[in-house]
Amino acid sequence: MSELFAGVLFAFVLAAALATAAFRDTLTVIVVFAAYSLGMALFYAFLLAPDVAMTEAAIGAGVTTLLLLLTLAKTVREDTDRLVERVNIPAVVVFGGLLVVMLATLGEFPAVGADDAMAWYNPEVTQHYIANAYDDTGVKNAVTAVLAGYRGFDTFGEAVVVFSAGVATLIVLNKEVFTRE
Amino acid sequence: MSTTISQALQPAFATGEFITQVFLVSAALFMLLAIAMFYRAVKGPTTQDRVLAVNVLGTNTVVVLALLGAGLGEPSLLDIALVYALLNFLMAVAISKFTVERGGVL
Repeated sequence: MSELFAGVLFAFVLAAALATAAFRDTLTVIVVFAAYSLGMALFYAFLLAPDVAMTEAAIGAGVTTLLLLLTLAKTVREDTDRLVERVNIPAVVVFGGLLVVMLATLGEFPAVGADDAMAWYNPEVTQHYIANAYDDTGVKNAVTAVLAGYRGFDTFGEAVVVFSAGVATLIVLNKEVFTRE
Repeated sequence: MSTTISQALQPAFATGEFITQVFLVSAALFMLLAIAMFYRAVKGPTTQDRVLAVNVLGTNTVVVLALLGAGLGEPSLLDIALVYALLNFLMAVAISKFTVERGGVL
């Protein structure tokens, strides 16, 4: 029965994604994109990744919509009579090629929980993390333990990059305010 | 150690095979309803129609998340449902304010 649910959900997400790509009016796109985000959060929840679903809920429904609306408020919204975007033939060709390549890769993935999955090519490493993650780091979730415990410096580097990007954005914005005065 | 909402509700999720199927089938039916709501979001014709459609879609998502949590035996999905119920409201308010007084979002 969960296949039935996944099928209907997939149809919904596909329709939302196509509508997001096709619409011309920016405000409509923002609203339809929120619907797409709802579907994706359901997908993550259905695949039993509650942490990703929680992030998608916060980013997709909350932050993205607000940021896009704020941007729209500061800029101009193009008035248009046409409802849908004109189809860009070269873009469709490039996208079609990419889609074929990605679908070809998809067939090579092992099934969920399969014995020949990539994670079991090196069983000692996998078993080591599963057995010792809690004792080593004190974090109950093994994925979080690897991300923030064993690969702590890596994650710290990522945080530094994001922080510098934020600082750079603030500097640029400040400069713009000064030139206007 | 403090108990979260999901832990407190854990016994309520110890359900049989039949009731699990019922939860999953009703989740699928709610997703069919979601497609009907999405038709309104696409068709419009005004932005207000679309905002209302997406707001109802968000409420529908909360219901589907709760049904999935019960059907799959994952009470932690209820936390996501709560987050969605809060943020969905915020989104509808932001878009509504944007359309009424141009430039105002929050």
